[in-house]
Amino acid sequence: MNKENVFEQLEHIVGKDFVSNREEDLYIYSQDPGASLPRHVDFVVMPENVEEVQKIVKLANQEKVPVIPMGGGLTLSGLIIPVKGGIVMDMKRMNSIIEINALSKYALIEAGVTTGQLLSFLNENYPNLQPPVPDAPPSATIAGNVLIHGSGYLSQKYGNHGAMINGLEVVLPNGDICKMGSCAVSKYWFARGPIPDLIGLFISSFGTMGIVTKLSVQLFDKPKFREVVFGLLNDPNDIPNILLKITETGLAEDVLIGMQDKPDWMKGYVFIIAYVTGESQEEIDSHIKIFKRIYRKAKARYMKTAERIRKVYLEKPIFAAAAADYRKGGGFEYVGANMPLENLPEAYKKGAEISKRYGIVPTLGSRLIGGTHNIVMFFSYSFNRADPKDMENAREALHETNKLALELGGIPWKAELSGQQLILKKMDPNYKKLFNTIRSILDPNHIMNPGNWEVK
Amino acid sequence: MGGEIKITINSEQDWKDIVHRCFRCGYCKFTQNFSDFNCPSYRKFKFETYSTGGRMWLIYGIINGEIQWNSGIANVLYACSTCGNCIENCRFDKFNDFLVDFIEAARVEAVNNGFCPEKQKVLLERTENREMFNPYGEINSNNEELKSKYNLPDNAEWVYFIGCTSNYRQKNLRDATLNFLKKAKIDFTLIDEHCCCSPIIRTGQTKPVKDFMNYNLAQIKNTGAMKVITSCAGCYRTLKKDWSKFETDLGIEIFHTIELVKKLLDEEKIKFKSEYNKKVTYHDPCHLGRHMGVYEIPREVLKQIPGVELVEMKRNRENAWCCGAGGGVKIGYPEWAVEISGERLEEAKQTGASEITSVCPFCRTNLSDANQKYSMNFEIIDIIEIFDKLDYEIVD
Repeated sequence: MNKENVFEQLEHIVGKDFVSNREEDLYIYSQDPGASLPRHVDFVVMPENVEEVQKIVKLANQEKVPVIPMGGGLTLSGLIIPVKGGIVMDMKRMNSIIEINALSKYALIEAGVTTGQLLSFLNENYPNLQPPVPDAPPSATIAGNVLIHGSGYLSQKYGNHGAMINGLEVVLPNGDICKMGSCAVSKYWFARGPIPDLIGLFISSFGTMGIVTKLSVQLFDKPKFREVVFGLLNDPNDIPNILLKITETGLAEDVLIGMQDKPDWMKGYVFIIAYVTGESQEEIDSHIKIFKRIYRKAKARYMKTAERIRKVYLEKPIFAAAAADYRKGGGFEYVGANMPLENLPEAYKKGAEISKRYGIVPTLGSRLIGGTHNIVMFFSYSFNRADPKDMENAREALHETNKLALELGGIPWKAELSGQQLILKKMDPNYKKLFNTIRSILDPNHIMNPGNWEVK
Repeated sequence: MGGEIKITINSEQDWKDIVHRCFRCGYCKFTQNFSDFNCPSYRKFKFETYSTGGRMWLIYGIINGEIQWNSGIANVLYACSTCGNCIENCRFDKFNDFLVDFIEAARVEAVNNGFCPEKQKVLLERTENREMFNPYGEINSNNEELKSKYNLPDNAEWVYFIGCTSNYRQKNLRDATLNFLKKAKIDFTLIDEHCCCSPIIRTGQTKPVKDFMNYNLAQIKNTGAMKVITSCAGCYRTLKKDWSKFETDLGIEIFHTIELVKKLLDEEKIKFKSEYNKKVTYHDPCHLGRHMGVYEIPREVLKQIPGVELVEMKRNRENAWCCGAGGGVKIGYPEWAVEISGERLEEAKQTGASEITSVCPFCRTNLSDANQKYSMNFEIIDIIEIFDKLDYEIVD
């Protein structure tokens, strides 16, 4: 690669103000708030439209330079830090909310739209509609969240956020612009099919298949009333039973479970946080009654909560970054493993053991995805960024937790490089072969976020 | 010469030991409802480097030796109007309060390492110039002429600290304040003031600050005054907040003129005889609002002026959009500073107001520059200047 030439061409494509090879910018883009070590970046570029993305990808192909697309940069697992150098493509200038279709209930947006932006736009202009919102700060992009197979608000009721994609506009590694979903056939971005569904190729592939520039995500009716019902369990073994009882009612919009040793009063309990919705306060009250009864029957008890805590949980997006501040050290990462319900109790027990072994306060949680079809389990590790040993400790704990998740039949979500290798090691060889074949056909020069999902 | 400021977060913990607590979660960039980015610097330059989080990480990178000082880093640190939007939106308690302090402390380091940008250096050169003592490069006014014009005593209960912007650039605002204080029968005088040092503190050039403070304090105390009043949000912030970093008890009380106006209105001592029939909006100066928490007093004053219809801009109070002049941006990045004010004027336009009021001569300057540049036809006016246009009397 002729760096000078690449830089000049990038300047030509996006303009001088939106490309950088300045030391200070490369320093910031060479790391994320997770535990990954910094990795080298050659250029940061911010395209304004799909044509510019296309030109950059063509240039990258010509010069054999890696391209790494970036949304809010909040995966924490280093997915937007180049493994083999190259161009970080920050998508934030592509931030248009193109269309809200209030009848077919979708938002057609560009890839740089943040969750905060869409949430706020809907609150102001379409107060009856709500978007999928991850457990992440408002700077997380909608595209980033859905493309990493994200989850969050509405996941218990409607499934993972990746499943809420109706359509994509993608710049393929050869520079072609490809439309997927109903928009490939129709002027409406209302559905994913019924045509061969290739959208899945772009979910959880971490930018290795192409760069998503535009997408349609489903929107959902916003209930008039919403309340959070807290409960307490003593024994993690009782978790599957209570989750089954809750989902049987069909009344929960979202369900979270939490277990942590700090503050002291939380130690020894499993916290249940269920969201109920309704058309009236009476309906909400009746749902709360039902939940109180379920809790009682499932060896749990209803927990009255301080108004302050209630408000925190009803806030959207929830202040997820609080978990990152437990140690006041600016560092945080978690293993978010997709787990089968049957192994959740063991995951809680063994997860707490790993934390203790690494001297980290156990902080575990989970969220239901589409009933009990799937549970995302969080094993959280906050660390002190100023202490390299503490960071190394967190990396080791994360790696061991990835192994645990796989042993228990789960799959680490948005895994960092070492976690990806653990998954690949366990993966059906023909699935792996198929994935690699498709990837090689799409990206023969291996320019798309190389190093990720690398089949060795 | 006096010692340098060592900004310390508290008596035990130095800022360098806690700056790495920033997680770069990005709340700092937003408006309160997340509708858009409200950090002027991030909005303009867009690279993550130019968010407060980016700056915190750069500062930490310098501290731990991962990255060395260069002019690019200095540029990132100086391309910030220190408006404090980040302070309002950062969710980490006992950390968020110090975000602007971190940036200013890092600017001190930039200066110490020889990376103060040339344009900002001029502020110090002019302020230290023994014929000027102000950042505008004007010959120092000892204010004797004004004292004599307004028939002010040598000794008084109050000192009106005019501030460099009002004295050298916004004289109408200065005169309106003098007229008000006289009319209100306030026992006040003027001093031969030197710069409060806001511009050099904000740009990390803190070396002479203590001397300037001591000089001004001595001048104030020579008059026998125990109270200081100013119409400048920047001076108000500096006297009240920055000076106390050197001297825990200054021995004087500090007021913004708008506080005095409000007090007199509350005591029903201002009797209006005319109306001000205008639709106005109020721009929160960062130095008075987010830096000092004064949001309601100017609004309450405006609401009590007969005829005034006060309409709010979409972003107001803690959520206000900065005028773009502060933190050395006006001198360092003059075109961008006016662009930022241009956005404020667009927002004001949406309210239907014909006038934009504020209580800061520096905001007034920058908003006026944008008003001219973009031919927006607003009247940009300080609240104290509105009083100058009204017929009112002060009753005992």
